[in-house]
Amino acid sequence: MFGFGLKKRNQQDLRDTPIPEGHHLLEVNDLKMYFHTQDGVVKAVNGVSYTLDRGETLGVVGESGSGKSVTSLTIMGLIDMPPGHVEGGDVLYRGKSLIGMSEEEMESIRGNDIAMIFQDPMTSLNPVYTIGRQLSEGMRLHKGLSKKEALDRSVELLRMVGIPNPEQRVKEYPHEFSGGMRQRVMIAMALACDPDILIADEPTTALDVTIQAQIIELMQEMQQKNGNAIIMITHDLGVVADIADKIMVMYAGSPVEFGTRDEIFYNPIHPYTWGLNRSIPEPVMDEKHPLTPIKGNPPSLVDLPEGCSFAPRCPYATDLCRSTVPPVHTTKTGHYAKCHYCNDAEFVAANAPETSRTRAGRTEAQKGGEA
Amino acid sequence: MADSNILLRVENLCKEFPVDTDFISKRRGTARSVHAVNNVSFDIRAGETFGLVGESGCGKSTTGRCIMRLTEPTSGHVYFEGKDVAAMNKKELKELRRNMQFVFQDPYASLNPRMTIGEIVSEPLVIHDMMPNKDERIEFVRGLLDVVGLNPEHINRYPHEFSGGQRQRVGIARAFALRPKLIICDEPVSALDVSIQAQVLNLLSDLQQEYGTAYLFIAHDLSVVQHISDRVAVMYLGNMMEYSDWKTLYAEPCHPYTQSLLSAVPIPDPDIQASRNRIILRGDPPSPIDPPSGCPFHTRCPIAQARCSQEKPELREVLPGHYCACHFAEPNPIKESSIEL
Repeated sequence: MFGFGLKKRNQQDLRDTPIPEGHHLLEVNDLKMYFHTQDGVVKAVNGVSYTLDRGETLGVVGESGSGKSVTSLTIMGLIDMPPGHVEGGDVLYRGKSLIGMSEEEMESIRGNDIAMIFQDPMTSLNPVYTIGRQLSEGMRLHKGLSKKEALDRSVELLRMVGIPNPEQRVKEYPHEFSGGMRQRVMIAMALACDPDILIADEPTTALDVTIQAQIIELMQEMQQKNGNAIIMITHDLGVVADIADKIMVMYAGSPVEFGTRDEIFYNPIHPYTWGLNRSIPEPVMDEKHPLTPIKGNPPSLVDLPEGCSFAPRCPYATDLCRSTVPPVHTTKTGHYAKCHYCNDAEFVAANAPETSRTRAGRTEAQKGGEA
Repeated sequence: MADSNILLRVENLCKEFPVDTDFISKRRGTARSVHAVNNVSFDIRAGETFGLVGESGCGKSTTGRCIMRLTEPTSGHVYFEGKDVAAMNKKELKELRRNMQFVFQDPYASLNPRMTIGEIVSEPLVIHDMMPNKDERIEFVRGLLDVVGLNPEHINRYPHEFSGGQRQRVGIARAFALRPKLIICDEPVSALDVSIQAQVLNLLSDLQQEYGTAYLFIAHDLSVVQHISDRVAVMYLGNMMEYSDWKTLYAEPCHPYTQSLLSAVPIPDPDIQASRNRIILRGDPPSPIDPPSGCPFHTRCPIAQARCSQEKPELREVLPGHYCACHFAEPNPIKESSIEL
């Protein structure tokens, strides 16, 4: 942390190396992160796979304890091992494995090539250092800037994220900033070294809706300008509808469905995704329909049910679901789901929830029929 | 409104929290205070759900607490069935609370960890001496646990043995134990995951249908409030900005604050989301210690005029039953494809 100026100016950043042929910017292959605790093995991340390219935004949705944060902390190498242990799988950044990397190598990537925004802007800034010093830290470490250069760049960054009067604000302490302002500072800090990948872990959950709209707009603007990839972790389907290109839905440590935004919202094939859709109050103006919640509670990660982990709460579960872990079904477009029945088109058509698109299609068909 | 059906009427409720409590600032007359609730008036009819929304710090929780006198209001009146709550003595308050109960936000902090859930749910009955016979009481609590969707066999378990959603059910069972006429729900689902949130919302609706209880539903999540409420009020910086029945408020909001608040909520449907015309407010809400002059919203308002910073708009009836505090309020629906479904 205090190793300012350690970086040799001639050291090459990994992000300047080209992506090898046949690889993506970030590839996560069947990643498994288990925690060995006194109560047993907590299977926090159990077989997560996805790919990400520059300029793309991946939305990771799921309820608390579904392993969405642990997945990204594993990518960043921020999990204490022990108790954590990578049981299998790999994370490739520009074709290079992050899992086997030494701490020293990881340090040059963290905050530089891959940066992270944390959920709580109130606790993720150090209260005893000025904003300017905290912003400078990464730039001095990774880019070898002098104190003066880093501070000038900090002012520039604060201006970029829309903080008024940045020359003055850079000398202030975190308590002098509001929640939304602090989250802007966190974004400025994450973008300080112009990262390839920005991981945002529930960046707007602690904020009010009007401030949330500002922050999401800012992240999109920054992405257009810098071309970085974003991994947006959230429990709010509204936020991913706004920002994501691809969506991964997680449940009990594993991805249950992965696809493009349109596939997840208009053509979901996993019963858990359906359940989530039905649980949110619909913004309809005519009649209020009662919600259809998913019954029961998420399982304990220490003692996952046999077979499909969603089977105890799934209204369509059969004996097969309760005994055998479902395989991954992948469609031609890369849309995948972990369910025994998700490639049964009849089953999906009969049970998937209504969307605005199917509704529009139906009214059109009705009109056609009348005419 | 001369409505005999009115259960609770709040008139010009104000609450200030002193900030400078030291002797010197008091003597100098420079003591500042947080204007948490500022002249708020509304009424709740028997059996309806009245939603109160706003951003954090807008005074919605303080309003709820003042109604029950968990916090003493600075001025103003709260009439429950015609009786002024603010003037009640301790004995009358106890009587009041038999008919008015509270469901708290945090299901982890609002249950005593050293009491079994049976004891927690039966405590109101003991306090109000409703069911002196212990066996009868236990039978009643078991029935109540069953109604809220908990296993009656778990009556002797402690709160830590339950998940967040289940604990919120215990809190709801406790509030319903006395069959009150009004329950103030302060963010009852904001600590819960979406699938559990839907379970609790459905439970609240079912119980309301069964017992005819009125709710004051305080929340920051506009879609949740829309789902559960009959009428909705929007607060900003301690002031009531707009209130009306839910359909009008969501389809044709008059106040620029309500309009921008509604347009800031992301809709979980990419097609609708992309076609919406969104207003993004600049800046942060001002400090309630030093609220702006005139209209509290004029510092962020997209249509503010010179008049707004000088003259505070009164809450006026723009349409029958639709109140709005804006000089320029006129029914101006936000055009959204979701409305035309």
